[in-house]
Amino acid sequence: MLHLLQLEWLKWRRHRAFQIFMVAYAILLPAGLLLGKQLPDLPDPIGTTEVLFIFPTVWQYLSFVGNWVSFFLFGFLSIVMVTSEYSFKTVRQNIMTGLTRKQFLLGKIYLFGLLALLATLYYTVVALGIGYFHTDVIRWGKVWQNASYIPRYFLLCFGYMSFGLLVGFLVRRTGLALFLYFAYATIGELILRWGIHFQLIQNKTIHYYPIKSFSDLSPLPFQNLAEEFMRKEGFPLFLGQTEVFIVAIIYIALMIFLVFRRFLKVDL
Amino acid sequence: MSILAIDQLYKRYGRIEAVNKLSLQIERGMVYGLLGPNGSGKTTTLGIIMGILSPNSGTYEWFDGKYGNNPRRHIGTLLETPNFYPYLDAIDNLQLIAHIRKVKHPNLGEVLDLVNLSHRKHSRFKTYSLGMKQRLAIAAAMLGDPEVLIFDEPTNGLDPQGIAEVRETIQQIAQSGKTILMASHILDEVERICSHVAIMKNGKLLATGSVGAILSQDPMIEMACDDNKALATLLQSQHMVTKIEEKPNTLLVHFKEAIPPSLINELAFKNQLTLHYLAAKKRSLEAEFLEITQNPKTPKLLNS
Repeated sequence: MLHLLQLEWLKWRRHRAFQIFMVAYAILLPAGLLLGKQLPDLPDPIGTTEVLFIFPTVWQYLSFVGNWVSFFLFGFLSIVMVTSEYSFKTVRQNIMTGLTRKQFLLGKIYLFGLLALLATLYYTVVALGIGYFHTDVIRWGKVWQNASYIPRYFLLCFGYMSFGLLVGFLVRRTGLALFLYFAYATIGELILRWGIHFQLIQNKTIHYYPIKSFSDLSPLPFQNLAEEFMRKEGFPLFLGQTEVFIVAIIYIALMIFLVFRRFLKVDL
Repeated sequence: MSILAIDQLYKRYGRIEAVNKLSLQIERGMVYGLLGPNGSGKTTTLGIIMGILSPNSGTYEWFDGKYGNNPRRHIGTLLETPNFYPYLDAIDNLQLIAHIRKVKHPNLGEVLDLVNLSHRKHSRFKTYSLGMKQRLAIAAAMLGDPEVLIFDEPTNGLDPQGIAEVRETIQQIAQSGKTILMASHILDEVERICSHVAIMKNGKLLATGSVGAILSQDPMIEMACDDNKALATLLQSQHMVTKIEEKPNTLLVHFKEAIPPSLINELAFKNQLTLHYLAAKKRSLEAEFLEITQNPKTPKLLNS
């Protein structure tokens, strides 16, 4: 595992997009939340913008920002890291040089796992930092009350990258893969869920989709919207606490399985 | 020891049979040329034995199975184009390859000297000329001193100077006793570098053997005089002559065994024919190649 991670490090440490995206993530994650300071007071039931920065709600709002940042940055990065191996033809070269196909894939998966871990670590530090400076009275019980957002955040990052991994290996071309990734996640899945699935079956199974499960790891913090939906449709707008873990993990496992199945056999 | 044993390898793309029941045996120390026109299945064959393409049927085994299912760390390969990370310099790219091969103390300086790239070792790969890229790929193949080297059209797309440099490098490597498998459609290249040759066309193996065996056809003498018809008639009566090919201005005469051209001159002169052209010919691989590839139904010389 270390050998493969070292290899990925040798590959990407001087890659411009990788460097830029890492810096961008480091800046955008806290900046995205702190932009909230520019907002006027929020409508009811939230009221003041203070909730964005204090324990324990800071976990939720920061992960909402991180959701968007990760979706763009890590999704993009994971695709580029897969498809550029095809456009440079280094995937062939890596295999010919002596990696097995399995090692090549595992290298990518370990790399994305490590990136997700680092991203989560940074998320934790930023949340603790912002919370610390904005909460008047620090009570440790309150600080860690929403700590379940930490493993959720990891799954969210890793989920987007697993999706990028799948699209990258299936499509192989950077531009097309990026287009499909964003098109599916922003429009395609919505059409599938609301345009087709919801017309046929109106229950919570319309939430059992990959991008929906990843983004529900950090649900929209608009409680009233969710309540209204519940009242009208008779089932919740978001996946439940445990449910979302299970659905997301199943989709991640499925995506990785599909990539393995394809990559171990396909001609390079 | 067998380096590579290929048995009945078969690969097709739709209706095209790219490699058709190919069997081949390569022993240690051979410099093996895989020769064939473009599209004859050379690169596909190399792709299969390097694990990047899957055959439809057939098997191959490296090193008698000594390294299990991943022998490729012990093989240096340059297939088609040189593939490197364009934003990394030569040193970084080579280090990456050494890392995959698990070479503890890579001989980076040594291989860069060998291909004459030491002065550009800190330039990014994308700034290299095609010749330099090709030479870096040879350096990468040499990293960690692999037992076998595979070169696919190593001089493709190079300028004359680049071709000369790459050939010289490969010849040096060959002289060091390494086993080399080289695909090429350039006969001259194979003739100069290789000890053995396999000739392919349309995915089929047409002939294999040592370059010497394929070359050692009937000795020939090409000659001309003012009356070539009379000369041909005269020679036909000689028992040493096996075949006479009439060319536009000369005769190409095949003999059972080598005879000194002076004997011919003497014979002709005695018969009032004055030769104005007389030259001993070695049957070139080129001629052999054309003959074999144009008549695929006569697979002669197999395993000669």
